Amino acid sequence: MSVKVRLHPYLRKCTDGRREVEVAGQTVGECIDDLEARFPGIKRQLCDERGKLLAKCDIHVNGRSSYPEELAKPVEDGDELTIVTFVAEG
Amino acid sequence: MGKGAVRMTARAELRRYERQVMIEGFGGKGQERLRKAKVVVAGAGGLGSVISIYLAVAGVGKIRLIDHDRVELGNLNRQVLYGDDDIGRAKVDSAREKLASLNPEVMVEAVRETITEGSAFELVDGCDLIVDAMDNFGARYILNKVAIDRGIPFFHGAVRGFEGRATTIVPGQTACLRCVYARAPQPEAAPVIGVAPAVIGSIQATEVIKYIVGIGELLMNRLLIYDGLSLEFMEMKLKRRPDCEECQHLIGGTE
Repeated sequence: MSVKVRLHPYLRKCTDGRREVEVAGQTVGECIDDLEARFPGIKRQLCDERGKLLAKCDIHVNGRSSYPEELAKPVEDGDELTIVTFVAEG
Repeated sequence: MGKGAVRMTARAELRRYERQVMIEGFGGKGQERLRKAKVVVAGAGGLGSVISIYLAVAGVGKIRLIDHDRVELGNLNRQVLYGDDDIGRAKVDSAREKLASLNPEVMVEAVRETITEGSAFELVDGCDLIVDAMDNFGARYILNKVAIDRGIPFFHGAVRGFEGRATTIVPGQTACLRCVYARAPQPEAAPVIGVAPAVIGSIQATEVIKYIVGIGELLMNRLLIYDGLSLEFMEMKLKRRPDCEECQHLIGGTE
């Protein structure tokens, strides 16, 4: 079971500059927990103290927004998660 | 609204656009398509400045520029349509003068209005496409809806800090803005440096020109993610959401 995670540049300070990492999990939330196990501190960049996804974060699974209930969204072997932030100015 | 464009002699017109007409696949036909195009640029801030300048100098025939704001000192680090002398003036009035000086052949309609659910349909009446130069997702969602209803393309762009995003939305053929961003954060005054809208606005204007002329490959079903600090472009392939509240009725079109 392997899921590829593509990381927004602001998260790469937690991954020694790596842009993509492979993680394991049955849901988006489990993948983030596995990411945290490999790169301690990264989850705090994505979630609040209760584990809820931060409003600024946007997670896509294979090019589709994982909203709503992003963390509960199931993932499969070979899926690709892309974590980016919202950008709204003009 | 409106100010008549000055039609140059054919010779002057040929000279003004000679370098772009030389581009393979562009030619006189492409230039004529640009001249006949009617484009809405929604927002006259950082993105709107860059988009409208490059569409004007490329010879897009009619640009309807919509913004309700006045120019402030704090705009001038990124909104290159304006200078100190414009402070306090309606943005669209200053913009119309500037664009007319850059290319008097282009008709610029200056519309000092706020984009709302009530006004948006009328504001884009008679236009072929909408360019997103807004600073909030509330207005973007409204424009996305209007574009879907009218069946016209919507060229999305947004910036923050040194970053930006862009995608080209063609209703029925691509993911719409609601598919990409089912939710959006509350509006806030975010940091921006002028070079970010310069990059993203240029990309949006590039897409508009390609679409009108009919050349190249558009940024369809692709979200361009630009980060100026690491200087990289990331791309994410987009898919339509089958349950999208805005465009699910169009499912069946080519994805």
